[in-house]
Amino acid sequence: MPGSQLKRLKASLKDQGIIGAQKSKKQKRQIAQDAKGTSDKRLLRSEALESIREQFNPFQFKTNARGPKFDVTTLRPANDRASKGIHGRPGVAKGKGEERRRETLLVEMQRRNKVGGIIDRRFGESDPSMSLEDKMIERFTREQQRSHKKNSMFDLEDEDEEGTEELTHMGKALKLRGNELLMDDFDGEDLPSNDDSDDGMHPDRKSLKRRRPRGDDDGDDDDADEDAKQPEKKKTSKEIYEEVIAKSKSHKYERQAAKEEDEDIIMELNKSLPELQSLLFQRQKPAAKDGNDERPSATIAGMDKSIVNKDYDLRVRLLATDKRAQPAERTQTEEEKAEEAAKRLKELEEKRLKRMRGQWVSDDEDEDRGDIVKKQLAAADEPVFDPFKSGDDDEFGLGKGIKLRPTAAELGFDDEDDFLIDDDLVTSGSDIELEESDDMEDDEESDDEQDFDPDDDEFVKGLLTAVESKDSVFQASSKEQGDDKDGVPYTFNCPQTLAEMVETFKGVDMTKLPVAVQRIRALYHPKLDSGNKESLGNFSQALIQYVAYLGDNLESGWFPTLENLSRHIHSLAKTFPIEVAKGYRAHIQDIGDNRPLALTVGDLVIFTAIGTTFPTSDHFHQVATPAILTIARFLGQKIPQSLADYATGTYLSILALQYQQLSKRYVPELMNFCLNTLCSLAHQRPQENLGLFPLHEPATGIRIKGARETTAPTESEANSLKVAIISTTAAVLKAAAETWCSVPAFYETFQPAARVLQHLTSKANSAHLPAALVSKLADTTSSLARLLQLANISRRPLELHHHRPSAIRTYVPKFEDSFDPNKHYDPDRERAEGAKLRAEHKRERKGAMRELRKDASFMARENLRVKKEKDEAYEKKYKRLVAEIQGSEGQAANQYEREKAARQKKNAKARGGR
Amino acid sequence: MPAATREGGDKPVTKRKRPENGEPSKKRRKSGKGVDNDLASQIQVLESEILESKKHYNNIATLTEIAAKQEDDIEAALAAAEALGRVFVRLLVSGSLVRRQDASEKDATVTAWLRDHFAGYEAVLLSKFQTNGPALKALMLSMAVLKAEAQHLDGRDEATFPRSSFKKIINALIQSPLEELRQAFYDNFIAEYDDIRFYTFQAIADILSEEGQPEDETFRSSVFGLLLRIEDVPGSNEELSDFYVDPPAKKKHPLYLLSQHKKQAQEAWLAFINLGLSKGQRKKILQIMATSIAPWFTKPELFMDFLTDCYNSGGSISLLALSGVFYLIQERNLDYPLFYRKLYSLLDADILHSKHRSRFFRLLDTFLSSSHLPAVLVASFIKRLARLSLNAPPSAIAVIVPWYYNLFKKHPLCTFMMHRVPRTKEEKELIESEGVLDPFLPDEEDPMETRALDSCLWEIVQLQSHYHPNIATIAKIISEQFTKQSYNLEDFLDHSYGSLLEAEMIKNIRKPPVVEFMIPKHIFTDVGPTAAPEEKDSLLVSLWDFGSS
Repeated sequence: MPGSQLKRLKASLKDQGIIGAQKSKKQKRQIAQDAKGTSDKRLLRSEALESIREQFNPFQFKTNARGPKFDVTTLRPANDRASKGIHGRPGVAKGKGEERRRETLLVEMQRRNKVGGIIDRRFGESDPSMSLEDKMIERFTREQQRSHKKNSMFDLEDEDEEGTEELTHMGKALKLRGNELLMDDFDGEDLPSNDDSDDGMHPDRKSLKRRRPRGDDDGDDDDADEDAKQPEKKKTSKEIYEEVIAKSKSHKYERQAAKEEDEDIIMELNKSLPELQSLLFQRQKPAAKDGNDERPSATIAGMDKSIVNKDYDLRVRLLATDKRAQPAERTQTEEEKAEEAAKRLKELEEKRLKRMRGQWVSDDEDEDRGDIVKKQLAAADEPVFDPFKSGDDDEFGLGKGIKLRPTAAELGFDDEDDFLIDDDLVTSGSDIELEESDDMEDDEESDDEQDFDPDDDEFVKGLLTAVESKDSVFQASSKEQGDDKDGVPYTFNCPQTLAEMVETFKGVDMTKLPVAVQRIRALYHPKLDSGNKESLGNFSQALIQYVAYLGDNLESGWFPTLENLSRHIHSLAKTFPIEVAKGYRAHIQDIGDNRPLALTVGDLVIFTAIGTTFPTSDHFHQVATPAILTIARFLGQKIPQSLADYATGTYLSILALQYQQLSKRYVPELMNFCLNTLCSLAHQRPQENLGLFPLHEPATGIRIKGARETTAPTESEANSLKVAIISTTAAVLKAAAETWCSVPAFYETFQPAARVLQHLTSKANSAHLPAALVSKLADTTSSLARLLQLANISRRPLELHHHRPSAIRTYVPKFEDSFDPNKHYDPDRERAEGAKLRAEHKRERKGAMRELRKDASFMARENLRVKKEKDEAYEKKYKRLVAEIQGSEGQAANQYEREKAARQKKNAKARGGR
Repeated sequence: MPAATREGGDKPVTKRKRPENGEPSKKRRKSGKGVDNDLASQIQVLESEILESKKHYNNIATLTEIAAKQEDDIEAALAAAEALGRVFVRLLVSGSLVRRQDASEKDATVTAWLRDHFAGYEAVLLSKFQTNGPALKALMLSMAVLKAEAQHLDGRDEATFPRSSFKKIINALIQSPLEELRQAFYDNFIAEYDDIRFYTFQAIADILSEEGQPEDETFRSSVFGLLLRIEDVPGSNEELSDFYVDPPAKKKHPLYLLSQHKKQAQEAWLAFINLGLSKGQRKKILQIMATSIAPWFTKPELFMDFLTDCYNSGGSISLLALSGVFYLIQERNLDYPLFYRKLYSLLDADILHSKHRSRFFRLLDTFLSSSHLPAVLVASFIKRLARLSLNAPPSAIAVIVPWYYNLFKKHPLCTFMMHRVPRTKEEKELIESEGVLDPFLPDEEDPMETRALDSCLWEIVQLQSHYHPNIATIAKIISEQFTKQSYNLEDFLDHSYGSLLEAEMIKNIRKPPVVEFMIPKHIFTDVGPTAAPEEKDSLLVSLWDFGSS
């Protein structure tokens, strides 16, 4: 292509044949012949010129500033526009915009500040070229157009109400909407259609459905029928309904027929059932034979359903009992039983260990269930004893010594009788957990009972409690009771609350309370009545409160009873775990709310019972955890004021330690309390800081003084209590050291204890302690020292972090197959969406601003135009007027001149005439 | 009684006008039945007479007498006081109490007499501060009279604050045993008006610095109570805009300057502290020092000695002083030598059991949050707290361990305390044969010399088997991988036994709890000598004699 613009223009003009060398006449003729008609030629010419002009107008197209892109840099298909790099046609766009504005904005502008107006819908009024005929044609076409503005002529539904066309039938208008009875007969409702789903369908829906093409053959048939029937007269509604009814009847009949057919088939099958059965249950052929003998006749005779059913039921029952008949488990030998028991214990222990580690034991329920069944089977051929009968016997004998032996026997007999009745009533149901679950230990218990030895009085000498001082009184009273004959009634009502229970047990002797409880439990066994379960649940909660109540009003010698009641609660807990747990938790809550640092004896009893009822070794337990927390709270926060506080604390220390016997968890508060107790009771205040435990200055009179030799009786009692506390605390420390001997900071934990014990055995303090205690303390000290040394040797530096090093997260870039630089590949979805939205907003804003600007300029232009027009008109008018005036002035002047001339003439004439 | 109440309602009207209302009130008196009524109407008559003419000025004396007799008839006394208040306000407004140069001798005598009685009246009002019934009314009256006095007593156009009268009021207020009265005074005046606050500080400072003040505890505690209440320090001079008495015209007046306000407050506080403090007051002061007292001070450095003394005194006082010291360090660039050593010494056996534990931990966290501290020092704190945690309540352990985590994150050198692999073979053998002695020196006072960095945190590992499951779990975080950025200490700070228990108890039991399978044969009783050899007494039975044997 030639370089310069001018040259290019020339070239293209020449191409189009607009300019060029002079053509010969022959050529001209040729062209003229080809083109046919001058107007065409002119048109062609102007078109060509236009296109050339367009081509050469540099503002006609919006192009890339640097020309079109190379193919390699863009993925866009190289169509002609893009190849030329044309982005838009500003000229055209501008023109369009202008046009649109003229249509909208200009109209608005002109109508601004004007109210009302007349829309001129006339046509041809301002067009003088239209003839009358044209106008009429125009009118007709417009009417036509209005009548089917948007719809086809056959769209009956969407037609406007005021539509000119309306379907009529016999001169009556056919209303297609609102009147449901008059349906378009195109609808097949009045015909017996095979679509049974059509029955009762709402007419409106049908009418909508009408125009859907019918795919099935029936539809076609219908259509054909319709075509045939269409000319016939339209049916009345009555007829239509009759037909509908007839149709539904026929359907009904059809259904019945189908059903009968099905039944026939079933019958057929039933007949062949015996064969099938014999195939299925080959084992029981002889049993089935009996049934088979009768069956053929019955079935052949007819469809005697009842016999078939009966037979079937029988079979099912046989199936169910079948399992029983099989020799599933043979009677186990003693060794096997022991093995079973050991296995069971092992399983339980494993589960406990799991819980201790804080792992979730999921299959708890199932296993329990299975075990119970097993146990039940294992216990099947053993005489069933009441767990509490033998238990009671054992407890009382152990607890009270030989003097109470006859009473215990009596009690035992009573129990036995009682239980026998109970057994008859209850055990028919076969699986009662609480009885079976205790069997095993009961056996052992009864064994123990056999060779009972009363010489157990030599039990831990030197440990004194407040309770013990009244021991003789207790024994005397119990002796009296021993003479009593059975005063326990056989029936009780089941107490639901503490008050009721206190009322119920008012007349019952303390030692016989367990019997009463046992009777209540037997009387209201859940097997006996549906309501018993709930009432026994409440009873167990009340029993907990009652135990606490008894503990609060403790008299010496009640401990066996309390123990027994606690065991009753434990056994109830197996049946009512939630209720019992709630009862205990309520008690703990009560302590926490009302007396966290003033525990009563009842609370201590409750804590003890919790410790035996629930597995305290669990990592978390709904009852045990709050209990140990409450214990620790007392130990940690109580600043003991009296010896009783020290005694309570010591008891709780023992309990806390017992709670942790298996799991060996560390209880800091225990160490604090024990060390503080020892320091407080020591005769002298420690001179130096013995350890990092908080030390409370004891109240006056707490420090031990001169307990080596007894003086006044009152003082000696207090002193002996102090000695007892010191001794017990030392023992607790020793036990704690043994329990926690493997903790990693054993040395740091128990070194203060060793120092405190040393302080106690120092000369100044040991002078005030009994010699036996001093030697015991020294003993403890030395054993502690040994343990400390051992702990030091076995300690290793911590290596806690042998974790696998965590991998560095890699961010491998994601490879895009078809990467488009114009697209955004933001991996963050939200951000990408936000960016998109922002871009759109920006674009829209710019567009709107541009439009507004254009509007403004358009309006300005328009205003200017209007103004110019006005000015022009004014100018024109002004000029016209001026010209007019000037004209008339000129005329007048002329006239004047003329007049003047005439007068002069006349004067001259007259002068001349004179 | 209804008559009396009606009269009370009538009073404002009688104050305005009705000099002639002597008659109706007399009638009412006749119809009235009690002495109360009688006295009330008499007071009214007396008051109206005074307002009628100067002749009846002697009634003032009568009224004062009535007002002074508070023990027999409080109501009447109050009514009289009220009437007198109105009378004096009137007189003040009319200028009768103003001494004039040009006044005749007779007028001067009258003025002097009136002034005397005015002073007497004020004294009567102040005397009423002591008893519960009329005290509040008396306070209001004396403040109202004070306002009138400020505006009109001098006879000048500009109001001047009557400091001496105000001081008397404050004095009476402090002497009063009624805490509610002081509360009312604070609510109605100090909290509302800047000038009252200003002059209250001034008056307190004056009163305290005077000789011969009673040294008793109640006096001091009431001053303390009043000072404690004044908390919100205005932010700038512009905020000083509410004045009870018309403010002075002079723009440079101290009332307009915040610094002067602060100065007065500072003087009052210093005067109070100079009196000597009880332990409780000292604690209270230390508690609010950084938040509400120090902002009143233009020179908080004045607290330096006080704070240092408190800080050195040990115990909970030191704990509380810590925040004040920190305030000074932070705000006033106080250089406290051996600060960390002192801080280290605060970690004694009681700190984890202290009431102020969480407060202390917040501060401790601030102090040790710098990553520029030597690791040796941080390790000392860590190890020391680990030792303490062996005897700590669970709530304290719950704070310590996450805090450790944050420290380990900040001071990676300290992580040797959790993970120490012996380097050489010899070392390993030595450890195998002899075990490890903790190299930590617990009695060393200098945290740089404790050798804690060579030690290990066995204590925390031990706490991983704490009896409380949640604490055990928390303690386990130090042996987990350190993937978390940090723990928010605030989540762990404020726990107690009560809250831990509450957290446990609030959960409902849905799943049946596990019950011990074996029902023990003995709980409180011993097994007995004939028992099977594998059966043993439980720990409880073996250690505690239940009197069964």
